Amino acid sequence: MASLLQVNNLSKSYKLDGFWFNRKSITALEPLSFDIQAYKTLAIVGETASGKSTLAKLLVGAEKPTTGSIKLNGQTLQHGNFKQRCQHIRMIFQDSGTTLNPSLTIQQLLDEPLRLNTDLNEVERNNLIRETLQKVGLLGDHMSFYPHMFSGGQKQRISLARAIILKPQVIILDEALAALDPSLRSQMINLLLDLQQQMGLAYILISHNLGIVRHFSDKMMVLCKGRVLEVGDTQKLLKQPQHKYTKKLIMNQHFQLLKN
Amino acid sequence: MNLLDIRNLSIKLMTASTPILAVDRVSLTMKEGEVRGLVGESGSGKSLLAQAIVGVLDDKWQVDADRFHWRGIDLMRLTLDERKKIISKDVAMIFQEPMACLDPTTTIGEQLEEAVDIEQLTGFFWQKKQQRKLAAANLLHKVGIKNHEICTKSYPHQLTEALCQRVMIAMALARRPLLLIADEPTAAMESTNQNQIFRLLASLNQLKNMSILLISHDLENVTHWTNTITVMYSGQFVEAGTTQHIFNQPYHPYTRALVDSSPKANMQIPLKSRLMTLPGSIPILQHLPIGCRLGPRCPKAQKACVKAPKVKNYHGHQVSCHYSLKGSY
Repeated sequence: MASLLQVNNLSKSYKLDGFWFNRKSITALEPLSFDIQAYKTLAIVGETASGKSTLAKLLVGAEKPTTGSIKLNGQTLQHGNFKQRCQHIRMIFQDSGTTLNPSLTIQQLLDEPLRLNTDLNEVERNNLIRETLQKVGLLGDHMSFYPHMFSGGQKQRISLARAIILKPQVIILDEALAALDPSLRSQMINLLLDLQQQMGLAYILISHNLGIVRHFSDKMMVLCKGRVLEVGDTQKLLKQPQHKYTKKLIMNQHFQLLKN
Repeated sequence: MNLLDIRNLSIKLMTASTPILAVDRVSLTMKEGEVRGLVGESGSGKSLLAQAIVGVLDDKWQVDADRFHWRGIDLMRLTLDERKKIISKDVAMIFQEPMACLDPTTTIGEQLEEAVDIEQLTGFFWQKKQQRKLAAANLLHKVGIKNHEICTKSYPHQLTEALCQRVMIAMALARRPLLLIADEPTAAMESTNQNQIFRLLASLNQLKNMSILLISHDLENVTHWTNTITVMYSGQFVEAGTTQHIFNQPYHPYTRALVDSSPKANMQIPLKSRLMTLPGSIPILQHLPIGCRLGPRCPKAQKACVKAPKVKNYHGHQVSCHYSLKGSY
C-alpha cells in the first residue's frame, strides 16, 4: 500500500540572537523520517520539551522546517501554501474551550473553512455543516448555539467537526484527549475510531497516556529531546521496549494495575 | 477511633430562587494513617466536599450534616473560631495548580518562613529569625529538595511545576497535620513528575502516619496509591470500599463503567475495538435529574431509580444503588 504521508529528514532548529561568531541555535527536532498510511494511527510519545508539539506544528505548516520535506500522496507540500495543506491536514488541540471563537455561533465557526477553501454555495454549505455535526454525534440544531453553551466534551466534538468538515486525510491530535473526563474520553475514542473506519483517516496521536496509545495506535514513536529513540509496532514496542527511556516511561504508568 | 467521620453531608448553593443541592448526602470516613482516594468526574462535588471539610466555603454555600466528627469532636456544634483553630492545626490542603497558588512576587523562602508554626520555635526572640530559616530549610529537606539554598532564593516561576508542588507540600507539613487533603495534586503534570509527587505522598504517609485524602478525576491514576476509594457522581455518593474491591468487583454500574472505559485497565480487549461507555454527558447543576442522578445514563435504570437509593453496606463495601451488581460476581 502506498503511503499517504511521507516525511523525510524533517528537522527544526531555532536561532538565538547573538553576534556573528557567537550565534547559537537550539535544535528542537533532529532529522526524522516516517511514513503513515490511510486507516492507520501513529502515536508520538515523549515528555515535555521532547519535540512532540514542534513536529505537529511542522506538519500543519505553522512553522517552517529547517531541513527536510513532507510529501502527501507523493506531492511535496510547500511551506506557506496553506490552501493546499489545510484541506488535507487538520489539527485538534488539547483545550477545546479556548480554540473556539466565543463570539461566533457554531454555524459561523464551521462555515469559515468552507468559505475559504471550497466553492459551495450557501445552501450546500449549510447542509454540509448539518451533516458533519450529526457525524460527530451532535444535532443539526446546534448550529445556532454559541460555544459557551456546550460542555467540555461537546466542545471537543465541535473541534473535531471543524477538523473533518473539509474531508481531510490526516488529523493531528495534540493531546486532544487529555483534558476530558474518563467517561467522555472513551466516547471520544469510539467516535474517532468510527470516523477512521468511515473516512479512511490517518491520525497522528500525541499523547502521554500510554493506555490510550496502546488501544488506539498501530505504530508508535518515542521522542526524547528532539531525537527519535524508538519507532515500531505499538504492541511490540510496549511489550519489549529496547531503550532505557522507553522502559522508564512504561514503568511510570504502572501498566499492570491490579491483577486478580 | 476514626479521624474523620462524616455522615450524610449536604451542601446547598443558596440562589435567589431555589437552593441547589450540589452535594447530596455524602458519607466519608477516614481512619488514621489511611490513604483514601476520592474519585469523581468534573462537577461531582469532590472539591466542594474537600472545601467543606476545611471550612473555606463562603456564605453562598450552606453545609448540613447528620454527623461531622473530627477525632470525636463534633465540628457542627463548635463556633467558627473554635473550629478554625482545630482544623487549621490538624488539616492541611494542597491544590491543583501549585504555580498559581504560590505568591509570584515573593521568594519561596519568605513564603515558607511565613508558614512555619510559631509554637515550634523555642529560642529567645533574637534567635527566632535564625530558627525560622532553619525550620524552612528542614521542611524543604523533608519533601526531598536537597539543595534548599537555591530553592529558597528563587521565585515560583523559576521552578518547575513538580518542584512548586513539593514546596506546597512542604508548607502543608509546617504544622504537622494529621490529614492532608490533596486536591488533584498532579493534574497537568508529566507522568514522571506525577510519580515523584505520588511517591513523596506515599512516603509521608508511611513515615509520619499522615492520612491522605487524594482527590482525582481519574480512577486509573490513583489505584496504585490508595488503600480505599470513595466514588462520587454528580454530587451523590456512589460507592466506597477497598481499592481491590472497587477496581476488581465494583457493585455500582457507574464504577463498572469507569473501570471498563479505561483502556489501561483492560489489557485483554482487542485493539481499536469500541470501549464501553455510558451514553450522554454529565448533567449540569441547573438540570439535575431527580432520584439517582445517574438514572438517565445508567444501563440498569428502572422505575425505582426515580427515588434516591439508600446506602447498602456489604462488609465495609458500601454501594448506593437499587440494582447493584453484587449478584453478578
